[in-house]
Formats: sequence, structure tokens, C-alpha cells
Amino acid sequence: MLEGKNLSRSNGGRKIIDNVDVQIEQGEITVIIGPSGSGKTTLLKLLALLDKPDGGSISIDGLEYKFGQTNPSPWPQVTCVFQQLFLWPHLTLLENIKLPQRAKPKIDRRSQRRGTIIDAEIAAEEQAQAAPQPEREYRRLDDLIEIFEMKEFINRYPNEASLGQRQRTALVRALVLQPKYLLLDEITSSLDVEQIAVILTYLKRLSHKGIGVMIITHLLNFAREAADKIIFVDSGQIIETGGREVLDNPQQERVKKFLSVIESAS
Amino acid sequence: MSVFDILVKYQSAFTGGLITTFQLALIIWFFGLTLGCLLGSMGAKWTRAIGIPSRIISFSLSGIPILVFLFWLHYPLQSILNVVIDPFITAALTLTIINVFAVSDVIRGVLLDFPAQYVTAGRVCGMTARQILVHIQLPIVLRQTVPVLLIIQVNMLQATLFASLISVPEIFRVAQQINAQIYKPVEIYTALGLVFLAVCLPLNGLALWLKAKYTRDFSEK
Repeated sequence: MLEGKNLSRSNGGRKIIDNVDVQIEQGEITVIIGPSGSGKTTLLKLLALLDKPDGGSISIDGLEYKFGQTNPSPWPQVTCVFQQLFLWPHLTLLENIKLPQRAKPKIDRRSQRRGTIIDAEIAAEEQAQAAPQPEREYRRLDDLIEIFEMKEFINRYPNEASLGQRQRTALVRALVLQPKYLLLDEITSSLDVEQIAVILTYLKRLSHKGIGVMIITHLLNFAREAADKIIFVDSGQIIETGGREVLDNPQQERVKKFLSVIESAS
Repeated sequence: MSVFDILVKYQSAFTGGLITTFQLALIIWFFGLTLGCLLGSMGAKWTRAIGIPSRIISFSLSGIPILVFLFWLHYPLQSILNVVIDPFITAALTLTIINVFAVSDVIRGVLLDFPAQYVTAGRVCGMTARQILVHIQLPIVLRQTVPVLLIIQVNMLQATLFASLISVPEIFRVAQQINAQIYKPVEIYTALGLVFLAVCLPLNGLALWLKAKYTRDFSEK
């Protein structure tokens, strides 16, 4: 479990995150919703261990991460895709995906992930493991390129690709690293319905494999379909949390108001 | 006597002058680029202690004509310090100082403007600081700086002509000496121009090619 306890974060004297408790469970999709400026992205950065909280602690699978001290790198075990994507401009989309793979240390992913993969898939996984590692990884990459229909534009540079194409690339860049926890910030904002459906299916597949996924989104239907757990954030605080009933039957007035505005706009 | 005749007849004199010019240029390039990169990197890291002072010096130097700076270091300064320094060393030192600050300005600017998000993206992908430096930061920084640095180096090569005015026997000085003997200024300086064209044009072309190849428009649609 990726867990943040009593997380607080201020910026220029203003509280962005205020005493928040959040858990990202393996095998679950947690959806974060809330108005712009409510602290969703800050919360993601804290959980991705990119920002140090002013107060509180973050632990991965029960081990607390100590900021400023020597820790084993939490990345790409925990990885994220930002809203702005941050694809490296000097590399093609394919090179963007391959670079972290090339650079990553040769670790035994099977032992790292064994506890996260459901039993039925272990045999298949082990069969695939029989192939040499680079071949295995390229096969996985090829599969992802096919699933997300990226063949046509995979050799373009980021500035030659559309936002939707870049979003898919950033997602695949994170997926090929086989994280245990995947944090996604508005990655569906420029995708068409068909592509969103593909991503939704894939994310569900990932969560069935035991990967913990956290998604920030404004798309209520996507949230409804994807979420095992929904967290509504406003003014840096968790206002309401629960299952899909948070969207279908919210208890808090603030959530009701937000949902009615979004639904009337769409 | 045609330009070609002059080049052939005074080939050894021109070659000697060109060798001195290249010796001077190599010193200016080597120390200018290494010290300039070092100063620029340090200036980006320690902005207050190094970055701002070096920017002020660079700004002041850009307002002083090279010739005045060269003369000042050669005549008044040596007179004040009561030392006599070989004109070649004075010219090398003067032009190296100018090159160091020009190069450091470019390096510091590019490093300060480097988008931190690219580094963050590398971190969350599990890349080490060294891998991020080698595969992300350096390639982007080099693509942005190399063409500009090449153009600065071509300008520095051309600035070596000023060394003739403090009696360094470089190629312009040689051309002046030949002109004093045969008085054919048009042909002699055309020949000199051709020599410089042969050296500078490929370098400028290389800078343009690198610029076209590597400094594409990175802005996203």
C-alpha cells in the first residue's frame, strides 16, 4: 500500500494540502476528483515522493520514506504521468519510451512483483520470463504500442505529435517500467472516447494484476467506470471518500454542488 | 600581380602567419571553452557568488572594444606593473578572457533556463542522476549551445587579427608586411580574405548545419 498520513503542504503561507490521509491499495483504482486548485496535483507529487510534505509521512508497503536520507530509490516502483507529460524533446516518442528501460538497473522483476500478480497469471508470466530480458521487454513494448494504436506516430518527435498522441506516449513510458503504483494526472484530457475506453480497459487489467493506480480526472463517467475508490478533494482537504456512491449519491454539499456543475456543463 | 600570384609567391610567409594565427586561436578556443564552460556551470549553480559577478564583468567587457582592451593590457598595464610580456601571450590572454566570458554567458543562460520538469520525468522513471545528466541534460544543453559556441569561436578567430596591432606575427601582420614591400593592398587583402573564407566558411557552415539539425523548434502543438 502507498500511504500518506497526516500530509500537509504549504506554499507561500497558503495551505495546499491540509492534514490529509490517503491510501493507494494494490489492485485498486483510486480516483481523485475535485475543482481546479484544490490540491490534487500537489497530493500526487507528495505521494510520488517528488515533494517533501511539511508534515506527515509517506510509506510504501509499510516502509516509511525518509526525505533527505539515504533510501532505496522509490522510482519507478512508484511512478507517475503528469498532466504536462514532460516528454524529452530531443528524443522521438519511441526513444522517450525506451530510454528509461535502457537506463534502468538490471533487477529481478519477478521477485519484486511476485506478491503483486494474481496466481492464475504467474504461470504465464514465468513462461514469458523464459525469453531473454531485452526481448521480453521489447515484446511488452510492442504489445503496448499496438494496444494504444501508436504505430503510425511512434517515430515522431514530441513537438510533431498531437496532445492525445503525447498523452498515450507518456502513459506507455510509465507502463513499460512495470510500476507497483501508478499515479496519473489528467491523462485522458485530450483523448477521444475510443482511446479513453482503451485506457480504461488497460488500467483495469493493471489493477487486476495487483498494481495500485491513482488517477486525477475531471471526467465523471471515466471515474465512475474506473474507480474502486473515489476521493473528493477541495481546499487541500478530503471532503468525501468512498466507492462509486460518492458520484451517484454524494453526502457532502460541496461534492453535490461540484458534481451538478460538472454534469450540467457536460 | 594577381591574388593567386601573391598567394603562391608569398606562400611560406602566409603559411607562417597562418600557423601563428592558428596557435593563437587554439589557445583562445581551448581555454575559452573549458574555462567558459566551467565558469558558466558554476555561475548557474552559485548564482549570487559567481553568476551575477561574472555577468557584470561580461556585460562590462561587451561594452569595451577588443582593440582598446588589448592595447590597455599591452601598454598601460605592463607599464604600471613594470613588466614586459610577449605580445603573443598578451593577445592570447586578452582574447581568452573575452572568450571565457562570452562562453560562460551562453552556458549559464542555457543551464538556468533548463526545464526542471525533464529531470523530474527522468527521476520518476527510475533514472539515476548520472543517467539523467548523460541522456537528458547534456544532449539538450549541447544541442542548444554548440551552434552558438561555434559562431563565437569563429568570431574569436577573426578577432585574432587585432593581435597584429601589438606586433604579433599572425597572418594579418604578414599581409601588412607584404603590402609594405609590394604595395598591392587590394590583391593582398583579397588574398587574406580568401584564406579566412576558406577557414571560417566551413566552421560557419558547420554551425548552421548543427543549428538546423539540433535546435529544432521544441515547442509543442
